[in-house]
Amino acid sequence: MTMTIELPVRDSADEATSPAPSGRLRRWARPALGLLLPVSLALAWELIVWLGLSSGRLVPPPTKVFATIADLARSGELMRHVTVTLTRVAAGFGHGVAVGTLFGAISGYWGLARRLIDPTVQALRAIPSIAWVPLFILWLGIFETSKVALIAVGVSFPVYLGVMGAILSVDRKIVEVGRIFRLSGPAMIRRILLPAVLPAYVVSLRVGLGLGWMFVVAAEFMGASEGLGYLLIDGQQLGKPTQIVAAIVIFAILGKATDWLLEIATAPWLRWQDAFATQGGPI
Amino acid sequence: MLALNSLSKTYPNGVHALARFTAEIQPGEIVAIIGGSGCGKSTLLRAIVGLDRASSGTVTLDDTPIVAPHPKIGIIFQEPRLLPWLSVADNIGFGLSDLPAATRRETVARALARVGLADKANAWPRELSGGQAQRVAIARALVPQPEVLLLDEPFSALDAFTRKDLQDHLLDLWADTRPTLILVTHDVDEAVVLADRVLVMRPRPGRLFEEIKVNLSRPRDRNSPLFGSFKHHVLTALDRSLDRGVPDRDVKAGVGGSMWW
Repeated sequence: MTMTIELPVRDSADEATSPAPSGRLRRWARPALGLLLPVSLALAWELIVWLGLSSGRLVPPPTKVFATIADLARSGELMRHVTVTLTRVAAGFGHGVAVGTLFGAISGYWGLARRLIDPTVQALRAIPSIAWVPLFILWLGIFETSKVALIAVGVSFPVYLGVMGAILSVDRKIVEVGRIFRLSGPAMIRRILLPAVLPAYVVSLRVGLGLGWMFVVAAEFMGASEGLGYLLIDGQQLGKPTQIVAAIVIFAILGKATDWLLEIATAPWLRWQDAFATQGGPI
Repeated sequence: MLALNSLSKTYPNGVHALARFTAEIQPGEIVAIIGGSGCGKSTLLRAIVGLDRASSGTVTLDDTPIVAPHPKIGIIFQEPRLLPWLSVADNIGFGLSDLPAATRRETVARALARVGLADKANAWPRELSGGQAQRVAIARALVPQPEVLLLDEPFSALDAFTRKDLQDHLLDLWADTRPTLILVTHDVDEAVVLADRVLVMRPRPGRLFEEIKVNLSRPRDRNSPLFGSFKHHVLTALDRSLDRGVPDRDVKAGVGGSMWW
């Protein structure tokens, strides 16, 4: 409709510079470009091992890795490890997000609170989170609690920073619009601050989720009997590089998939930001 | 009647932005405030709308003191300040959340049609041109039917053609309910085409320098000789206001509408 005429210039410039002739081709060609490098590397390595130029013992070729994943899947092992790891990430991420959001919001909203708690939080943030491991094991035991706590610590800091920064950078001019219309405190938060903060918040959630996946490995290194991190350690101790690479591949897939889910889940609230969504959106 | 009584403002950093500004503005009157930069024009508007409090002096609307944003006083800023996450229609209805949804929708639809943007109801603010966005801002400020509407250089970011277009459009909208308009501007043309009265301010500290009544019937022809002579008069006053050699006049006697020339 007439709307397309009014779209920002950037879009038309994009279209002009894009070599792909049709929108559909462009839609598939771009992600495919990203796959080009890893797929050709994998194929090359497969070929090298197949030609006997390398034994492939320490760096297993893709077929072997996928065979291992298939074996693990068939025996039900894979499901068990993935479930355990996902549960830990979910619990740690949930707690970390809750704590990070709460304190980030408090620090962002009240200047006094920020002066009181922010220096402490920044000091704690400077500690490498892995350094907490021995203490958490002493405090919380060797089982799930200490693992979830470690992940939560890792997740909470980027979320805290993201929320605080986002609130601090909310445009004063937009806040004045709220004041002109005499919004109460809660209405100001609901109608101005929350929507304004949301884009940066989603970014911090995604950073937090990435760190959650990092810390679940660290957590599972500290004496787990299940989980993908356990598969890594097990593979190292028993000299099974195929199993290690298989676990790494699964980590990559899960990490990307959860990040994508987060992106999809938050997209409806960020539709106003996205230049392309509006073109096909229900307008 | 809007009464500004000896408004002064000194900022915490010591800047003396406004000094004993006094004026009375009648209902339905259009007043343009013009002056060099740093003459306290924006400070004055922010005090009237209740965003910032004056250091001393009072603002009263029909004898009600204004110390915080008031439902009868609206403002349009230099930038449209639309909320980017709301559709155009929701932006216009932003100040109407007390109304039932059906009434609100109806009011918003009428306002959209009135500013000629009915087809943009569901567009995002990002998709609007500068002129369209400012129209939405005008509609948003007008739907609560304020008695006083302040405009802080509302068209200064627009190109000359769009600006002229919106000036005419503003007068047209003003005729609907005839709110008091107080317009801060840098543009002498804009002041003379819109205002019943032009207040010239002088800077450091910002204070009233001269008051010019524009006795021209509307619609005003921007090319008529009389229009030109009013423009010339405002320009001369502006020049004099910036000349430190020219002493302040006792403008108090002129408040209420006598002519100074």
